[in-house]
Amino acid sequence: MLILKLWNYFRGYVIIRIEGLSLEKFINMCIARDIYLWDIRRINYTTLEAKIGIKGYKAVRRLTRKAGCKMYISEKNGYPFWFSKMKKRKMLIVGAFFSLSLLLVLSSFVFVIEVNGNESISTEKIVNTLESSGFKIGVNRYTVNLREIENNLLIDIDELAWVGIEINGIHAKVEVVEKIVPPPKIEKDIPCDVVAKKNGVIEKVIARNGDALVEKGDIVSEGDLLITGIVEREGMERPLYLHAYGEVYAKTYYEASKTVDLVEIEKVKTGAKYTRRIIKIGDLELALSKGDNPYEVFIIEKTSKKPIEWRNKGLPVEIITEEIYEAIEIEEKLDIEKTKNLLHETLVEDLLQEIPKELEILNSNTEFIINDNTLHSSVIIEVLEDIAQQKKLQIEED
Amino acid sequence: MKKSQEVKKSLAEILELPKDIILDIPKITMLGNLQIYIENHKGIIEYTNNRIRINTKSGALRIIGKNLLLKNIVLEEIVIVGEIQQVEFTD
Repeated sequence: MLILKLWNYFRGYVIIRIEGLSLEKFINMCIARDIYLWDIRRINYTTLEAKIGIKGYKAVRRLTRKAGCKMYISEKNGYPFWFSKMKKRKMLIVGAFFSLSLLLVLSSFVFVIEVNGNESISTEKIVNTLESSGFKIGVNRYTVNLREIENNLLIDIDELAWVGIEINGIHAKVEVVEKIVPPPKIEKDIPCDVVAKKNGVIEKVIARNGDALVEKGDIVSEGDLLITGIVEREGMERPLYLHAYGEVYAKTYYEASKTVDLVEIEKVKTGAKYTRRIIKIGDLELALSKGDNPYEVFIIEKTSKKPIEWRNKGLPVEIITEEIYEAIEIEEKLDIEKTKNLLHETLVEDLLQEIPKELEILNSNTEFIINDNTLHSSVIIEVLEDIAQQKKLQIEED
Repeated sequence: MKKSQEVKKSLAEILELPKDIILDIPKITMLGNLQIYIENHKGIIEYTNNRIRINTKSGALRIIGKNLLLKNIVLEEIVIVGEIQQVEFTD
């Protein structure tokens, strides 16, 4: 009965030893006077040990004389005794209180700032910007307004689309999302040319403004002038500077190649096994087992255990069990057709990720070259793509 | 005295009343051989580690066992724990 034990603890009790000849008489007297005794144990013929509440103890003292027994206290237990003991050790309580409050105060400061989600903006820049708006390591979490700092960061760094700061204990997590910057746009009244964005074979030119310089079948490379903004006609004194624009469709090529071995070395376990344990504290690794890896060819299977998980971070202590299996190498020749298909599939998949989705695929070409033990494959995919890109005109003032 | 007991017993039987209350006799509950619970006792006669004798209206109840401990003792009930081997009524 836990609840009874707790109750007794809070009321306080003493363990008494009673010595005498008529101990049964003493117990009966206690019962008759409604004194509660529990855990009564016979030590020997003349001695009895029992637990009794503080109030009962005072009443029992008078009884002992009547029953002709002697009584000693062998132990005092419970909250009231503990409390009076603590009263004598004031510094201990002060210390406990002090350390607890220190812990509370210190835990309200931010000690770690973690930045997540940034790709092109450096973490340092974000941290520095945060610092200039008052959010840095050592700041009290209750004195800063997170929403305001988030907004400041958004204003200070233009490339950010969203910022979220979350404080978990002493850990501040800054989540950022970067903007995808649109290509720089040239104002309509500024003269410009249209140049090629990438290499290709011209398929169609639609010059909405300006003079087309290329026609179907022309091979252009990146940066080549496609539509010029400088229009010169006979009978004009000065050339006309235009804001050239239009669409230039060209066949462009996406290419990928890869070489694989046709002979695969596979490791097969022989059955022999060697296990070793490593305890890892932070970056320090301590081997718990003696000896080194005895095999030349082997397969290692690692399992790590974190003994204490706390708030899904855990302590930086890890126990790693490495099972090293002895292995032998077996050479295996791969099926050529199968490998070809697999290779082709992976290459096409890679390419399709590269090619913008809206483009039309015109043609694809796959080549395989087999050398001794290797298979080389290259895939070329031809697509129709708008390669027009505007470029500001450098006008030389005469 | 004997007569009144008889009357009470038959009365309890007719009215289906609990006999331990009407006759003031002990109610003994055992939990395996680990614990014995006695209601309506009349005090302790003898108490040692191996033998406990308890006075009841039905005579002395003798409990023999090993490491017997009086877990609890109040006016109405006694709880004894330990390894109980024998329970018997003696006159």
